[in-house]
Amino acid sequence: MKLSLLSMHRAYVALLVVTVLQGTPPQDDGQWTMPGKNYASTRYSALSQITPANAAKLRPIWNFSTGVLGGHEGQPLVVGNTMYVVTPFPNVLYAFDLTREGYPLKWKYRPDVNPAALGTACCDAINRGAVYADGKIIYNLLDGHTVAVDAQTGRELWKTQIADLGQGETTPMAPFVAGNRVIVGPSGGEFGIYGWVKGLDVATGKILWTAHNMGPDSLMLAGATFGGGANVGASTWTGESWKRGGAPVWGWISYDPQLNLIYFGTGNPSPYNTEQRPGENKWTNSVLARRPANGALVWAYQFTPHDSWDYDANAEMILADFVVGGRMRKVLVHFDKNGFAYTLDRVTGEVLVAEPFANVNWAKGIDRATGLPMLDTTKQTGVSRGEVKGICPSLEGGKSPASPAAYSPHTGLFYTATNNLCMNFQAAEVTRIPGTPYIGASTPYVAGPGGHMGAFIAWDAARGRKVWELREKYPVWSGSVVTAGDVVFFGTLDGWFKAADARTGRELWKFKVGSGVVGAPISFRGADGKQYIAVYAGIGGDWFLLSGDVRSDDPADVRPPADFAPDLARHTSQGGSVWIFGL
Amino acid sequence: MAACSRGDRLPPSVRYADHVAAGGNQPPAGELNNPFAKDSGAVSDGGRIFGTMNCDGCHGGGATGWVGPSLVDGRWRYGGSDGALFQSIFYGRPRGMPAYGGIMSAGAIWKVVTYIRAQPVPAVVPTQRFQPATAEPKPRREQTP
Repeated sequence: MKLSLLSMHRAYVALLVVTVLQGTPPQDDGQWTMPGKNYASTRYSALSQITPANAAKLRPIWNFSTGVLGGHEGQPLVVGNTMYVVTPFPNVLYAFDLTREGYPLKWKYRPDVNPAALGTACCDAINRGAVYADGKIIYNLLDGHTVAVDAQTGRELWKTQIADLGQGETTPMAPFVAGNRVIVGPSGGEFGIYGWVKGLDVATGKILWTAHNMGPDSLMLAGATFGGGANVGASTWTGESWKRGGAPVWGWISYDPQLNLIYFGTGNPSPYNTEQRPGENKWTNSVLARRPANGALVWAYQFTPHDSWDYDANAEMILADFVVGGRMRKVLVHFDKNGFAYTLDRVTGEVLVAEPFANVNWAKGIDRATGLPMLDTTKQTGVSRGEVKGICPSLEGGKSPASPAAYSPHTGLFYTATNNLCMNFQAAEVTRIPGTPYIGASTPYVAGPGGHMGAFIAWDAARGRKVWELREKYPVWSGSVVTAGDVVFFGTLDGWFKAADARTGRELWKFKVGSGVVGAPISFRGADGKQYIAVYAGIGGDWFLLSGDVRSDDPADVRPPADFAPDLARHTSQGGSVWIFGL
Repeated sequence: MAACSRGDRLPPSVRYADHVAAGGNQPPAGELNNPFAKDSGAVSDGGRIFGTMNCDGCHGGGATGWVGPSLVDGRWRYGGSDGALFQSIFYGRPRGMPAYGGIMSAGAIWKVVTYIRAQPVPAVVPTQRFQPATAEPKPRREQTP
């Protein structure tokens, strides 16, 4: 049989897609062009020079201060021999030349960002990174704009307003590109927004579709393709409470090109006081599968119906193909704030595995037949229930969605940061005033069983069991990267960047990076052909609110120690920098 | 025309005592007087309004600081006088403080000011010590040859 060049190209692309989804790419191009490394968001690098045998020889190669204090979440990009770094507000974009000694800047882009956004960002003015597509670096500014910048020259190519600060919407999430669509969403679960995702044209930035996460089918773009019931996005709410019901999209997006579906999680229902929003509140705290070209909803699954605890589902959806229960399945793996790790069939949304990866007491388990949690009713919250004590996990989550996990097809394991915190929960009546917080709860934390507040773990998602864990004194809030050398990297809130053996969990190496790590490490091939690891240091996000006095640039704002982690500020202060490590 | 409630008049500009005046000459400014100063009823009303207007969502319960700064540490970005606090709430501030003058009466804002000013300010402790003083090494005595 004779194949044309075009069909050979198509066949190669199809092969590549299959192998990437199965997690065994024939070789790594050495770049990192999108937030989760690939469409499947595995954060797996096939580079293999760094191994458990030589990781102890890792050393810092380069360090650059970003000049910004806010929480440095997300990850750099490496495209060709250029590294791109986006800072938290005021959202500076740096382009570093990796071919020259000292990696000097090629250019620096300074957008005009409205500082009023600082008051509608619930939890520090963070940013989760950029995406590269079609010669452009595309990212969100905190104040509700998406920008595209020429990757070669730094020239702004387009700027589109996507969100409304006046409604409490801000935009720190990392955009995702599927085909010729830029997919974006807002934060604002603590401001009573009406959550959505939008699809923009990569070439022009024009908004081509907007799909809400609740409300009538017409606004949810839930047509004939959706099998989840008619208008459940409105009928599972009381009155029109869905219009201020939250469901922000501030996490990560994945894409299966074969199924032609994007997957993303939605955040908490607003407000936290459950008694102001009776009903299941679909599709808050859910995973939604949509068509990237037009936003059409295909399926949805709600992890935590009628959320009582702020268990956002914005964590990454990692796509992989492996055997579950004796059958090869196309799955989606998700570590939820509610403390359960889910392995779903990503074609249908069927729950295949759902087991706790953290200390959980709000539910006794997940009924696989119905997909519903089996609740402990004593842990339900609401203003009439007074202060409900000892709920695990805390609303920081069994794992933060800000800390994306990694999956190695080499070991077959998933790797994730976790938190070991519990909370009391006192709900309160609250009034929505657009542009101001809409929360309605007080939630003090304590360390969970064992006293350690976090751990980094390896997880078998086919069986739903923990394989190993590295306990940490503080919650672990960093993302992770795992490599073909079977080394996994993560950072800690007290400022250590660490390497562990991906098979055994043995700690191989650590280095103190100057500030707590809430970013996600990457691995890339340098211009010299060597493997490098890059990561941000710069504590922030929730840990600006919770760590005590870690921001020292304002003499008018001196904070007492955090009650449950009084000495965290002994080990870290805010201050963003980029590190590169190598052998 | 309906009679104005107590304190319900629009504010003039106020002076910020912490600003350096060029040439040593203070600019002309009005004076804002809190009609509820030291009014205990206004303190409790103001505390309630602080919750219903969602101020605690940014400044924390008890105004001790969250994503917005503490209002009870005795330190101020934009001036700590009653008049300066009124202006901050009425017009907002550029780094995230919303303007409430469009939805709150001047009287309600004054009650919030009265509540904030009534909160106890801890003794200023600018030093946070992370180990007991006894754990610190004694200075080494220089030996003379």
